[in-house]
Amino acid sequence: MTKFMVIPTSKNLDRFLGADAFLFGMKDLCINFGTTYTLEEIKAYQKKYPTHDIFISVNKNMRNEDLEHLKEVLIEVETMGVKGIFYYDISVVELKKELNLKTDLVWHQEHLTTNYATCNYWYTFGAIYTCLSNEITISEIKDICKRIHGKVILPVFGYIPMFTSARHVVDNYITQMKLERKEGMHYIKKEGYTYPIVDEKHGTTVYSSFILNSLEELPTLKEEKMDYFLLNSFGIDSLVFEKVLELYKNITKENQRDMMKKFEALKLHTDSGFLYKETIYKVK
Amino acid sequence: MKKHELLAPAGDLERLKVAIHYGADAVYIGGPSFGLRANATNFTLDEIKEGVAYAHQYGKKVYVTVNIVMHNQELEALVDYLKALESLKVDAIIVSDPAIIQLAKQETNLEIHLSTQQSTLNKKAVEFFKKQGVTRVVLAREAYKEEIEEILRDVDIEIETFIHGAMCSSFSGRCVLSNYLTARDSNRGGCSQICRWDFDLYDENEKPMAGEKPFTFCTKDLSMLKHLPEMMNMGITSFKIEGRMRSIYYIATVVDTYRKVMDAYIKDPKNYTYQPQLELILRRVANRDSIPQFFNHKNDHECQYYNGRIELSNQDFLGVVLDYKDGMVTLEQRNYFKTGDMVEFFGPHHETFTFQITEIYDEDDQCIDVVRHPKQVVQFSCPYPLEYLDMMRKKTFQ
Repeated sequence: MTKFMVIPTSKNLDRFLGADAFLFGMKDLCINFGTTYTLEEIKAYQKKYPTHDIFISVNKNMRNEDLEHLKEVLIEVETMGVKGIFYYDISVVELKKELNLKTDLVWHQEHLTTNYATCNYWYTFGAIYTCLSNEITISEIKDICKRIHGKVILPVFGYIPMFTSARHVVDNYITQMKLERKEGMHYIKKEGYTYPIVDEKHGTTVYSSFILNSLEELPTLKEEKMDYFLLNSFGIDSLVFEKVLELYKNITKENQRDMMKKFEALKLHTDSGFLYKETIYKVK
Repeated sequence: MKKHELLAPAGDLERLKVAIHYGADAVYIGGPSFGLRANATNFTLDEIKEGVAYAHQYGKKVYVTVNIVMHNQELEALVDYLKALESLKVDAIIVSDPAIIQLAKQETNLEIHLSTQQSTLNKKAVEFFKKQGVTRVVLAREAYKEEIEEILRDVDIEIETFIHGAMCSSFSGRCVLSNYLTARDSNRGGCSQICRWDFDLYDENEKPMAGEKPFTFCTKDLSMLKHLPEMMNMGITSFKIEGRMRSIYYIATVVDTYRKVMDAYIKDPKNYTYQPQLELILRRVANRDSIPQFFNHKNDHECQYYNGRIELSNQDFLGVVLDYKDGMVTLEQRNYFKTGDMVEFFGPHHETFTFQITEIYDEDDQCIDVVRHPKQVVQFSCPYPLEYLDMMRKKTFQ
């Protein structure tokens, strides 16, 4: 049965306990996660919530200067018995081999996890899981599930990081225009759409204008060979998120109409992303 | 001194020939499939064959980009395509998806370069790809000088870095703005350059934060001209110029300028002095300011470009030389010019010179005053010998 994994964006996990698994962004080694956590905090959660699977993300583009700390973290994580480590940078794969680490990896190069052959390639290097891209269609997802050697994690709900930069583009603009700095999240708007934009220590992330929502597809997706559905709580009120998680967990083909009605009542700005829409890459 | 390679973009056969004529040691091109500039002219397999033959005739190399992020349906055609490229004797393929590395190793003897789309910034990642049979890594444009040095010191592999051209605002591979805003897939060659668009910025309470100019991600371009000798000393193998969709004038000017700096430094490194006037020449073909960016840890507001959607372009480029015989140049027009104009000719094998056009003849040998038709072929006398693919531009500064 497919489990539910949540990216929490609060240090208080009470609203996320309905999930089967947590994905924590690792402090200093992670980007576009909203909230990041220290190893000590994660260990404390592990102790407090022993039935939850724990995954950790180290998804930043690593520089040489990050490698020593990354190595220390990977060694420490090895002793914690976490289920898997999400990675973007290939140094993680190399270090796993060098240090003979047993913890499974999760290939999560965000927009690049788009075909089964590359999933299977990384599988041979210990990436037992792949977290699939949001830019592929539902039929491509199903096809990957059929042909993949490893396990699949599918993001099904949440704002989607669309742009990750080493630059601090909000701060740069504020500096250049001599504007007053404001705390918290910012937004950019274009042609009626609003996109959350976050400057953080390692750079800037821009998120989709809508919340990806695959609730309607979930009963079908549950029939596929899929290990986790991933829900991202970034930018969503935790009370609302708790309700969403419940709907996702409980939806079936039989109660689908009723559950969709309940979801609509939450009045979230959602979209199905690329589940039914192929991207174009050759403009005639 | 270690052998260095000046690597130029070529969107089509004409640009390939221009790049080689102006001193590129190698060119990178896109084939009919699987490249990241789906909307460039690109090469057919026959044109790749012709381009490779042309380049090899001059001892130059041709690399073909196979750097899209693959979807399931593309995998089936890939092996045949790789085999075709091998049969055409291309010198390497540039790949970002590791599944292609594996297939290419299994099915062909193609040399493999890792694309900048993997955004490689550290030595462990470089080590990994070396072990997989990659012979060259194109580093991320975000790499600092010290990082490049450390990679070169610790991993025995060819390193390629960008030295000139447009920059992505994001890490390569980590931007899908184009997908979400225009449904064009940036990782499969359809990037619609959303990072050059203007947006309105708002604070947490959605109150506008408007400056004198609109918010944008847009970055200035990259130019490493001043740092080229330093980079050569570091041991970087290949210096890459961005821009497969750029004009022949752009390619000629940029390749020619970097070639001159490379050659001058190789010839006499001790007495080499930087010539800032070369920056003026590069500026003539640019439509944005250019700076060194991340190499020197520069990553602030001065690296960005707040100029609305206005990007400078000019009509500097007047024509390309098709032939020169008996003191008469045959030239194909690219921008309006007329008798009496002061013009400059530049080319790889002579000093740039200036002269005034006195009489112009069209293809029917009729004397004309102005050359106003695109690609119109004309003749006029010129006291200095010229050669095929030399170029004529406006004389605008000393």
